[in-house]
Amino acid sequence: MSVISKLRAGLLATAMIGAATLAPVIAQELTVMQSEAPRSMDPGDQAATFTNALHAPMYEGLIKRMPDLSLAPGLATEWAPNEDGTEWTFTLREGVVFHDGTPFDADAVVHNFERHLDTDRGLAASGRLRTFLESVEKIDDYTVKFHLKNPYPAFLNIMTINSGLMVSPAADEAGTIGSAAVGTGPYRLAEYRSGEFVLQEKFEDYWGDNEASVDTIRWTWSSEPSVLSMALQTGDADVINPVPPVFAAPIQANPELDLHVSDGSAVFWVALNVQSEELSDVRVRQALNFATDRDGIINAIMSGYAVPANSPLATVSEAYNPDLNPYPHDLDRARELLAEAGYEDGFSMSVVVQEQEARIGEVLQAMWAEIGVDLDVRRMESGVWSDAAFGDPEKKAAEGVDAVIASWSSGVNGPDLQFRPLYATESFAPTSANLGFYSNEEFDAMLDQAAATVDETERNAIYGEMQEIINEDAPHVLLYVSQDLYATRPGVENVWVIPGGLVRVDTATKQ
Amino acid sequence: MHAYVLRKLVSLPLILVGVSLLIFISIRMLPGEPARVMAGPEATQEAVTAMTIRLGLDRPLPEQYLTFATNALQGDFGESIRSRLPVWDEIAQRLPYTLALAVTSYVLAIIVGVPAGMLAAVYANRPPDYIVMAFAIAGASIANFWLALLAMNYFSVTLGWLPLLGAGSWQAYILPSVTLAVLPMAVIARMTRSSMIEVLSQDYIRTARAKGLPASKVYWSHALRNALIPIVTIVGLNFGGLIGGAVVTETVFNWPGIGRLMVDAVRYRDYPVIQGVTLVAVCAVVIINFIAELIIAALNPRVRFD
Repeated sequence: MSVISKLRAGLLATAMIGAATLAPVIAQELTVMQSEAPRSMDPGDQAATFTNALHAPMYEGLIKRMPDLSLAPGLATEWAPNEDGTEWTFTLREGVVFHDGTPFDADAVVHNFERHLDTDRGLAASGRLRTFLESVEKIDDYTVKFHLKNPYPAFLNIMTINSGLMVSPAADEAGTIGSAAVGTGPYRLAEYRSGEFVLQEKFEDYWGDNEASVDTIRWTWSSEPSVLSMALQTGDADVINPVPPVFAAPIQANPELDLHVSDGSAVFWVALNVQSEELSDVRVRQALNFATDRDGIINAIMSGYAVPANSPLATVSEAYNPDLNPYPHDLDRARELLAEAGYEDGFSMSVVVQEQEARIGEVLQAMWAEIGVDLDVRRMESGVWSDAAFGDPEKKAAEGVDAVIASWSSGVNGPDLQFRPLYATESFAPTSANLGFYSNEEFDAMLDQAAATVDETERNAIYGEMQEIINEDAPHVLLYVSQDLYATRPGVENVWVIPGGLVRVDTATKQ
Repeated sequence: MHAYVLRKLVSLPLILVGVSLLIFISIRMLPGEPARVMAGPEATQEAVTAMTIRLGLDRPLPEQYLTFATNALQGDFGESIRSRLPVWDEIAQRLPYTLALAVTSYVLAIIVGVPAGMLAAVYANRPPDYIVMAFAIAGASIANFWLALLAMNYFSVTLGWLPLLGAGSWQAYILPSVTLAVLPMAVIARMTRSSMIEVLSQDYIRTARAKGLPASKVYWSHALRNALIPIVTIVGLNFGGLIGGAVVTETVFNWPGIGRLMVDAVRYRDYPVIQGVTLVAVCAVVIINFIAELIIAALNPRVRFD
């Protein structure tokens, strides 16, 4: 062995010991590929799941969501309501700075919520907050008090996402937050090329512990599902989200890749326009429910990756009742109900559906034809569909829109965010998403009663009854609750998902 | 000639005004409000309305157009609704990638298409002709989207020879440019074939052969020069189609060009970006056609521009 090669061997040995004892020498990058491009770098100016996933490593709220889906202290260390739940006092974490060096304190919190209360700002995610938040008051540098218009059960949940996430007041005032993210999270924005990628690097001055996770996270996107699947196979992506159900089987069959399946939060349904002649009769709406073979739809459309919807709430909801089974597939019962309503020969109706969900319409067309219902499926590009789906009663009558196929995801944020927008009288489209104009005074009253009930068990009891009312009145044909599918390459650990497909990689490690 | 160039230069702004007005009106006739699309179906109508006002989309259309046109004249195409970056920066960042891809594919289409068409013409109605034309017909009819996915699956996933996505290395150019070149290659081969067959039957070609010139000289110098005129015309006219093809190809290969920018912009109803990209694409097509006309004039001295 020559001197030089001995020296080399020595150096190599030292380097290897160094690698074993110190941090790895090679920077580790995790690449995440999703199905759509980020919509904004400001978490308060959009509400899309995949953008939320991309924001999660960079932004934090006063409260954070844990992998077991419970709530835990985030930028606030503790909080407490007054007796009737209209005032909440938060103690803020000290020693936190934003990525641009701006200190995080009560002024920053007040600025963040005031920008949402200011209608002139026109931020996309402000709407929900404005329905219940009156004002935010600074008590001292590290204490703030929220004044609510009325008690709001989803208040704490909203603190964890979108309008609840803290952006740097300096960046917001400079008007750059939409294109350059500045939060307090464990990762900061390193580079944003809007046509290619978002690169995030570790934030040196993070208040918490971000030692163990990967050095950088690269986010890319493709709207073509087969490209996501190929990117995972070649290693161009370490994580893909979502996995389209048709590609799930090959990924599962590949021993080198990991498919992760968990209960999702999106309930898919057909909203029936109760102002249409035939559909104004509850028996007709029930008949359509009995004529729907939910397992058949799940196998045909979702390759089995969904659960039949037996309630207007998703299975992950805190008030979900798994024991309901209102509408087993029963064609005889469906025909009976139609005959009682005076439509023994069936009738014709139309449904509007987006391109990507068009197959649901086709399957329903075949199923409902069995009871003599002639379904006219109008498939539309998503923007066009959105226009038709959110039409007011006059517009829908003029265009002959009898039903809309859509989904809604309130996830773990509480039943109010599912019930109110979809079924409350105040939510008639276009104001919100009561697309079929269902209206029930008793239901509306219970909704407000539940919102004002601070005790969780009592509140969930009310929500339990409300599920039964919706099942009985059948303003929707409830179809299924989709499952969340994402996939990872071997060696990628500590990735988790918030129901609804919000994949969390801020604690991810990679070998 | 100078008068012609001048006339062309004067007509470009007129074309741009016409096209900008057309695109401005047509994208606003698309159903689907940008604010609703951006805010998502779960946003309240109040938030959507507030956002519409912020984006200035509640203003009367003529006012919106005037604002857009005035700013555009000063080189300001506005801000992307989605990324909040200046539209011009978005385009400038990506244009080089699209141009690089377009030029690579076009060069490829010409260097393969022209000789293939000549081969077919020289062996007209014999096996080489049939083979070339079979490929040309297949190339013109295959969906490049499908071809791209197939090629990616074979060369990148199965064999692992070529990068799957992006524009990170020279190897990354191979799949997208070949995919994009297939259609113009087929068109050029067919055009070259028919143009050459016509030229080859002319008297001066018989004369050239009769005086004992080698076949290669007859084909490449005498015949091709005249046959090129319709080919150049087609090449020029097809450039617009190439940009259209780039939209699909760039989307599949995650190519960071203006085609993919356009697809995202349409999905999110990002009006300023759609307007900006369209104007740039129109400029490119007009300029390429202009260059094609100049080349034709150089090839054929009988063409006069007055």
